[in-house]
Amino acid sequence: MDFSILLDSDKCRGCTNCMKKCPTQAIRIKNEKAVIDKNKCIYCGECIKACPYNAYSPYEVNKNDFVETKFSIAIPSTALYGQFPKGTEICNIQNSILKLGFDYVYDESYAAELTSKAIARKISESEGVKPIISTNCPAIVRLIKIRYLSLLDNLITVESPMEIAARLAKHNAHENFDVCSEDIKIYYISPCPAEMLSITNPIGTKKSSIDSVIPLNSIYGDIYREVCKNTKLCNSTPSIKGIKWAIAGGQSETINVSSYISVYGIENIIDILEEIENGKLHDIDYVELSVCTEGCVGGIFNVENPFIAKRNIDYIIKNTKETFNAGISDEVFNDLYEKNFFDIEIIKEDTNKRKLTLAEAVERMERIEQITALLPGLDCGSCGSPTCRAYAEDICDGHADLYGCILLKANKKRLNSEEL
Amino acid sequence: MDKENFLKRYSCDVVANNFSNAGKGSSDIKKNLKLLNIDPAIIRRIAIVSYEAEINLVIHSLGGKLHCDIYEHKIIIISEDIGPGIPNVELAMTEGYSTASSSVREFGFGAGMGLPNMKKWSDDFNITTKKTGTEISMTINI
Repeated sequence: MDFSILLDSDKCRGCTNCMKKCPTQAIRIKNEKAVIDKNKCIYCGECIKACPYNAYSPYEVNKNDFVETKFSIAIPSTALYGQFPKGTEICNIQNSILKLGFDYVYDESYAAELTSKAIARKISESEGVKPIISTNCPAIVRLIKIRYLSLLDNLITVESPMEIAARLAKHNAHENFDVCSEDIKIYYISPCPAEMLSITNPIGTKKSSIDSVIPLNSIYGDIYREVCKNTKLCNSTPSIKGIKWAIAGGQSETINVSSYISVYGIENIIDILEEIENGKLHDIDYVELSVCTEGCVGGIFNVENPFIAKRNIDYIIKNTKETFNAGISDEVFNDLYEKNFFDIEIIKEDTNKRKLTLAEAVERMERIEQITALLPGLDCGSCGSPTCRAYAEDICDGHADLYGCILLKANKKRLNSEEL
Repeated sequence: MDKENFLKRYSCDVVANNFSNAGKGSSDIKKNLKLLNIDPAIIRRIAIVSYEAEINLVIHSLGGKLHCDIYEHKIIIISEDIGPGIPNVELAMTEGYSTASSSVREFGFGAGMGLPNMKKWSDDFNITTKKTGTEISMTINI
């Protein structure tokens, strides 16, 4: 798989809603159907949200192949705990997942707490570059790789909790259940198309330890039906600190960094990245960014409203006894940290674009400006490009022709008829 | 103006005391340079000096213009205004020295780092000032 978002072209009516919402202008309408440019897509899921005809869906996974796997481990995203009615016990949710046919459920929040510790340590050791930007939201990392290359050095080089959880789960299963590593398969239950893609195209250089991602909403019903019937024994003890990662600001709180900002919503994030590029915000240590409303609880494949899901998470945090906490010894943590267990390398993506010389690039820009001046500037989208400016670029690069603009075409007709 | 290898000029007006739009001009310059595929590290330096220059125009000047001149191997950011001039340039170039009023500081501006920062990030920095206007040119080699 090299794509996590599917478009059903029977349902797509070429209405331009997704094209206009796409933050990287990766969508065009061609022959009345939406087309996504893979090189520009950051998998934020705004198009899925914007589509009035439900034409977009997550990439389909074989939902039941975990039943046949020799040893299958489910790792639910911490956001899942916010999807059930207030007061639903985490253990019940874990046990419900187990009943679906998994051999083990591994809790992500424990890994999230470990990740927080690693980030705190990295921040304390870091010199110079400020503010440090979180890498937890893969859509944001991709956005920075496409549009904010000068901020690559600001990204924290710590792996996300889902990867850390997968590595630990594999290791633990191998040790505790006497299964060989090749027989273990990890299934991550995710609310997020960007995370789905991170399995085949991880943002760091290393190979992902997750074998398959199940979109949260595709398995939710099955879990929900079991939730009421369960016992209270927990499969894998969660960390109350780590659960905070599901909500915006929780990451920074768990890291315990004194000066931070937490931002969600793609427009807000773009504003903040611009400010950082202008050399502002250097008095801030950590910038936590998530594309979705209220953080991962707002992920596209969730079922509950983000604000209600956040309330549910808050309720869990307030009402769970401290003794329930997994607790992480400094010894275990230090050992892993020294072995570079948490490290990732953020690499610049190699775009296949032909490198223009500066003089050529300026020439191209002038042509684009000339074409833009001819266009009506309504940004109506009827031509199949999101703005008149983007359309001018498409024309300049030979992907569109000028009379795809309905207003220009109408004017031309009018002028012709006046001449007659 | 050095005509040799000159490629293009981007310009924008900067209105005195208009804090809501402060930063828009430098942001547009940055956007254009990104479209030209200029090296990110160079863009970052240009973003900082042009932003500082624009903020200075908003706070201290009676209004002015910001230009971005692109040459084959360098980019020059020019800030020009219509007054009132800088009475003591040497003092203005001192880190932490600021003449900004307290109301301006409430916006988070006026820390006295503007000019020193602009000089720090430029390869070549020139300033001429008189009562009828100040011109600052900052060269960044590419």
